[in-house]
Amino acid sequence: MIWAFIYAFCSTVGFSILFHVPKKHIATAGFVGALGWLTYTYFIVSGSGSVLACFAGSCIVAIISDVFSRAFKDAATIFIIPGILPLVPGANMYYTMLAILEGNVTETASIGTETLLMAGSIAVALLVVASISKLLSLTGRKLLTYLK
Amino acid sequence: MIQLNVKSKVLFGVIMINQMQKKVLILALHAGELMMKSGAEIYRVEDTITRICKACKIPYVEVFATPTGIFLSLDEGSVDSDMHTFIKRIKGSSIDLEKISQINHFSREFTSTDLSIDSGLAIIKDISNIKPYPLLVRILGAALVSSFFALIFQGAIKDFFCAFFAGACSYALSVFLDKLETNLFIRGFCCCAAATLIALGLFSTGLGSDLNSIIIGSIMIFLPGVALTNAVRDTLAGDMLSGASKGIEAVIIVVSIASGVGVAIKLWTLLGGVF
Repeated sequence: MIWAFIYAFCSTVGFSILFHVPKKHIATAGFVGALGWLTYTYFIVSGSGSVLACFAGSCIVAIISDVFSRAFKDAATIFIIPGILPLVPGANMYYTMLAILEGNVTETASIGTETLLMAGSIAVALLVVASISKLLSLTGRKLLTYLK
Repeated sequence: MIQLNVKSKVLFGVIMINQMQKKVLILALHAGELMMKSGAEIYRVEDTITRICKACKIPYVEVFATPTGIFLSLDEGSVDSDMHTFIKRIKGSSIDLEKISQINHFSREFTSTDLSIDSGLAIIKDISNIKPYPLLVRILGAALVSSFFALIFQGAIKDFFCAFFAGACSYALSVFLDKLETNLFIRGFCCCAAATLIALGLFSTGLGSDLNSIIIGSIMIFLPGVALTNAVRDTLAGDMLSGASKGIEAVIIVVSIASGVGVAIKLWTLLGGVF
């Protein structure tokens, strides 16, 4: 588990360099990505499907990014984009390709569908968290003005 | 004579307003273009443009942004004023989060303080001139990504170094192909084919022990994760056109990566390599 965290941290830092994350935020972005990957591996180890694990990992990435974006007063995208990249199903894409090369249609369809679902679940998770945080901040603001 | 004087004054006034409008237009369009090129979502681009225009007290603003172009109309609101419309074609994009962060700060500052339009234009120009990290650092970043992904996918220490090398080489190739302005598909295809060939070569000489982890690590750099997620987000936010265009971009990149890997493996087996 600890090794998974370190590996994911380093690779997210690599992505942060490629996408030119501001220098002061590189370590934070790495932390976000590592936490997302840790959640993913935890769900996989505890026996749930990869789509659900991907969804949970992306939710964690989105929530932490939202918290950091408020704390550092910066756009949440800076943490979200490097953070979700470890979760993008690159390995599954590769295995889909191998199945195509072997001419195994059943395998292609099953891995390919899973890949698509994983990619979709990442986007849906980001959207759900963004909507909820918007809703919460709006009601919080309304409540504050009402109390005043 | 007097009449002429009055007329010229009115004319002068109209021109002044138009110049102001035009500057706002340029400022907003540049900001939007920069954000779009750096990989921001559609609604954020439209929101920023609208906010900048409203901060300059222009009552009627309508923006329509897509990943390949921005359309912007402004109107002063009075009966005899002309409507100004600009179209900005956007070509090429590279994700740059520093720029997004800076523009975010800029639009917050521009709308909350009374920054002049000219200084706003100067700031936008500065932001557009921001360079990415130096090439060597970026290559090191790409190598970090691929090598640690090789470890995540059960590679051994040997594979770590192989993936480090393959990732660095394929990223350097992609930078070179970018300079030649090749299209999306050719770039993805060439880079992934090169990465796979390097991995196969290292594997067959016994330097690498797990072929799959090396290849997965080195293609991870080129995955369209951002395009994929932004496509779904845009579609769900109601920007169907942008969602479709980003989605097609992601599909093209995925197909290019997969075919690059596939062709390289096929070629290797045809030439009699073990696999």
